[in-house]
Amino acid sequence: MTASVALWSSIVLGACAQVFLKRGVTRPDGREPALGIALVRSPWVLAWAACFVAATGLWLVALSRIEISYAFPLLSIGYPIVAVLSLAVLKERIALSRWIAILVITIGVAIIWRSA
Amino acid sequence: MAVDAITETPAARPAFARDTPAMRRLSWQGAAFGAIALAACGHLLIKQGLLAAAHSASPATPMQNIFHYLIQPAVPAGLCIYGVGTLLWIRAVSRHNISFLYPLTALNYVIVSIGAKLLFHETLSFGRCIGITVVVLGVALLQLSARGDQS
Repeated sequence: MTASVALWSSIVLGACAQVFLKRGVTRPDGREPALGIALVRSPWVLAWAACFVAATGLWLVALSRIEISYAFPLLSIGYPIVAVLSLAVLKERIALSRWIAILVITIGVAIIWRSA
Repeated sequence: MAVDAITETPAARPAFARDTPAMRRLSWQGAAFGAIALAACGHLLIKQGLLAAAHSASPATPMQNIFHYLIQPAVPAGLCIYGVGTLLWIRAVSRHNISFLYPLTALNYVIVSIGAKLLFHETLSFGRCIGITVVVLGVALLQLSARGDQS
């Protein structure tokens, strides 16, 4: 596995983990989630845990071979990924101002990516 | 973040989120900037450990590699510092609006990059600095767009 594959997999898995967690702790009826055993049994929360562990492992693999001043700011591409997934999976509304912010972050990440 | 779930009721709050005398002395500024500093230190320490691992003989498969990294003292130490930073962060979040606090975490990109230049002599090119600045601006804009949301 190349270092850049590890880095991008880690970032995408980390972003997926956030969306799974949000889905896992949100109840359709809008009530407070039951904490404890019920939460741990939720397949969404288990998916979050699996993605989180995999993302952390891949992050270590990536960081062992890539400069941290390059890899660390690239993590912020997670914000746009979470936004698109939250639109697709959670049906969250995304205002125009938020799309603009997401665009700015993506441009910043592209500039850092090209600086490698 | 999973932070919202545990700050719902005072009884459910863990010790670091409760109003103990020691915690009352800790302002939200102290908690937030402490959390940011510890997270940055944690990541730099992890990088330090990974650099040390790269110098010693490296095993073959990715799983062996990950195990090899985790036994470098600086890697678990960095993860622990990052964990303490997360606890402080929960403290800060319980005191102040998340929409105000969250953009501050983008400071980490700046601190980590400068730390990497000073400690590991990484190249901070002009392009990389511009990119990090644009990302920080974008994160700030993102939170401005969250003003209307429930904090």
